[in-house]
Amino acid sequence: MSIPSATAGAKAPGSVDDGLLDVLAQIVGAGNLSTADAVREQHGRDESYHPSAPPDAVVFCISTEQVSQVVKACADRRVPVIPFGTGTSLEGHVAALSGGVCIDLSRMDSILTVNAEDMDVTVQAGVRRKALNDYLRDTGLFFPIDPGADASLGGMTATRASGTNAVRYGTMRENVLGLTVVMADGRVIRTSRRARKSAAGYDLTRLLVGSEGTLGVITEVTLRLYGIPEAILAAVCPFPDLESAVNTVILTIQSGIPVARIELLDEAQMDAVNKYSKFDYPVQPTLFFEFHGSDAGVREQVENVKAIAADFGADDFQWATRPEDRTKLWQARHDAYYAAIALRPGCRGIATDVCVPISRLAECILETRKDIDASGLCAPIVGHVGDGNFHIIFVVDPDDAEEMARAADVNERMVMRAIAMDGTCTGEHGVGYGKIDFLTAEHGEALVAMRAIKRALDPLNIMNPGKIVRV
Amino acid sequence: MTETLKPENADQVLDAVKWAVSEATPLEVRGSGTKEGFGRPVQAGRVLDLSGLAGISAYDPGELVLTAGPATSMFEIEQALDAANQELAFEPMDLGSLYGLGEGTGTLGGVIAANLSGPRRIKAGAARDHFLGFQAVSGRGEVFKSGGKVMKNVTGFDLSKLMAGSFGTLAVMTEVTVKVLPRPEKTRTVLLFGADDATAVGALCHALGSSFEVAGAAHLPAAVAARSNVGYVRDAGTSVTAVRVEGPGPSVEHRCTALRDLFGKFGPVEELHSMNSAALWREVRDASFLADDWIEKQVWRASVPPMQGAGVGAKLRAALGGEAFYDWGGGLVWFALDPRADAGAAEVRAAINDCGGHATLVRAAADVRQAIEVFQPQPGPLADLSKRVKEAFDPEGILNPGRMTAGV
Repeated sequence: MSIPSATAGAKAPGSVDDGLLDVLAQIVGAGNLSTADAVREQHGRDESYHPSAPPDAVVFCISTEQVSQVVKACADRRVPVIPFGTGTSLEGHVAALSGGVCIDLSRMDSILTVNAEDMDVTVQAGVRRKALNDYLRDTGLFFPIDPGADASLGGMTATRASGTNAVRYGTMRENVLGLTVVMADGRVIRTSRRARKSAAGYDLTRLLVGSEGTLGVITEVTLRLYGIPEAILAAVCPFPDLESAVNTVILTIQSGIPVARIELLDEAQMDAVNKYSKFDYPVQPTLFFEFHGSDAGVREQVENVKAIAADFGADDFQWATRPEDRTKLWQARHDAYYAAIALRPGCRGIATDVCVPISRLAECILETRKDIDASGLCAPIVGHVGDGNFHIIFVVDPDDAEEMARAADVNERMVMRAIAMDGTCTGEHGVGYGKIDFLTAEHGEALVAMRAIKRALDPLNIMNPGKIVRV
Repeated sequence: MTETLKPENADQVLDAVKWAVSEATPLEVRGSGTKEGFGRPVQAGRVLDLSGLAGISAYDPGELVLTAGPATSMFEIEQALDAANQELAFEPMDLGSLYGLGEGTGTLGGVIAANLSGPRRIKAGAARDHFLGFQAVSGRGEVFKSGGKVMKNVTGFDLSKLMAGSFGTLAVMTEVTVKVLPRPEKTRTVLLFGADDATAVGALCHALGSSFEVAGAAHLPAAVAARSNVGYVRDAGTSVTAVRVEGPGPSVEHRCTALRDLFGKFGPVEELHSMNSAALWREVRDASFLADDWIEKQVWRASVPPMQGAGVGAKLRAALGGEAFYDWGGGLVWFALDPRADAGAAEVRAAINDCGGHATLVRAAADVRQAIEVFQPQPGPLADLSKRVKEAFDPEGILNPGRMTAGV
């Protein structure tokens, strides 16, 4: 892989010294400040293959006010600040490239207000996705964005997370209504309130959604909620080949059928899933579907999708209506990454992430599959194909330089192919520091504008420096 | 008469902006000028007329995206989409009737720059959610592009979202790409008669919380309903509350029946079929109830948490007289009042203050819009942040200065 150096990024001049540690201890209490190696190491690492970079200190904050004071103290000394939710990011977002103070928000885990009639909720940044949905269950509402990992909602906001539900419900950018953010100088802002945004200044909410901690620390999030559908139906259907599976997806989306989820697993991935989750699905390219709506609505979606699939030679739908069966089915999908790695014990997984216009999806996936086959690599394909997004999971031996180089080559060809098809180098994992160079290839000109924003909002370059744009 | 620069292509836009930067001459960025009455009047040395950058440059219905010049008229866009049985799902409102201008003369760039969304916003999202990418010239005189033709990307800061609703104050867009979707096969509207505002908003929120996929939720008090051109609504003699369902035939029938049952608990109900539905939601979308012989009235548009809508409407009427109607399940309050020098700004801001809403003065004479804040004033730290964003894109302040707020 083209592994970026873990020391990339501008060096902020300040360093964490005893004076700053004393101040931090006063703010959060000595028990909530750690410089222990194990704690620092854990906070400089996410779930990616990128080299980790531990911060110099970790503070566990319990309020926006504490975060504000910590950021102020760091700003005074020009010390970098790196926000941390659950560490499930995938492009080295939490790596402390220039050292500094990591703000762990996991203890800010209160659900502040649920407005059931208005269908919104305000949570502290450390609340996790599953905890929120457990809490909401009795209200008949739910929060649909599901990136797989049980991530914190602050982290999901900061990385503009999406996932399997995006076709019907969108991503974090469509579902965040407002934010409380500690800016680079320690000031606290509330971007918009609960009303839907309509012409009241620039859309700072969406500027901060996906800013990966480079503009401020998100401490509270107001989210849009949805009614739990009257009917939910999930299904798995094998296809004779990859092309017919992808074409079924394309036609489903082009017909405007509001599927909630439509996921592709190629045959290598199905093999992995069977072995890992003890299923006996046919080892063929397979689509996983989920339909949400009223009883009649779901029936109708199902009929339409079945008709399309039949045209592409697939009719063996296996249905899951009971919640426990659905959970099992989707758990298998979410475990795809671990299942893939289990194919080659001792190896590591490297997940890639491109997104192309829906009309180019078949071409992009098929060419990529050809590349993989020619390379001889173990690299299953999975994807939220409904929005043109798919991933290769390279299962590689990190100590085998030649194999790593082959994987890097396939990945780079795929990214360049996607970009040439008017696609993007990252549909959902984000930039962090892992994709920072691809971003230049994809739209160098936008970087000028992004850099200007970064300089305007974080003139000292202390907010998660070295991510998204280098200044 | 202000002199006009009329570039024919993106390169000429760049030249014009560079020239303006070097001469420190502010530009009024203009598509077809239909939204001139929206926002504060701009004091500019030149008009930058983008009408030369019109036309659809790429549209393949199978791709579900459309790329066009910013000055492409909405009429042209809608015609092209119609032919492929597609639409812009955010249902952009047409300000034409509200300003006493023709319909369909607004531009795609204008729709995006003003982030204009219609009744379907509650289901499909706002204009910015369908705005995938653009090419522009910043106020620094630099060309940049962002986003693209993909449904989602996380490549750095989401500049499209920043551009949507920025009223041409950050950059001059030279190309716009939006998401398009298949048009629903069938549309029905369930009407409830005679509900007061609070009951109506409660019923609408109930419907929106159901799994019947409501794609429009409006309430017209009697005085507004009487101004409709749809017979069932105009002749009701009382208030009319409306929900819209769309989709394939059988599912629409099913959901319609369910919603009739739900509404039936609150009063008498009726059902509108396709033609009447389309006519009614167009009126709601364009606020055309507030046109014609009400054209002299000043108009506010307030966004509030939906359940607060009726309360806000009551406060506004108590303080200022006038008439209100509601869209987005109560979350959008349209309010028309007889002209005042200050457009009742203090009263309007007070009415929405408690519930955290924002109000925009959509229609008033230029001197009124010059004298008061047209958009919701932002609290200090947020205003400061907006200013810094403006400076990042347009440090010399040459693009539409003062359009959103004095100094930005």
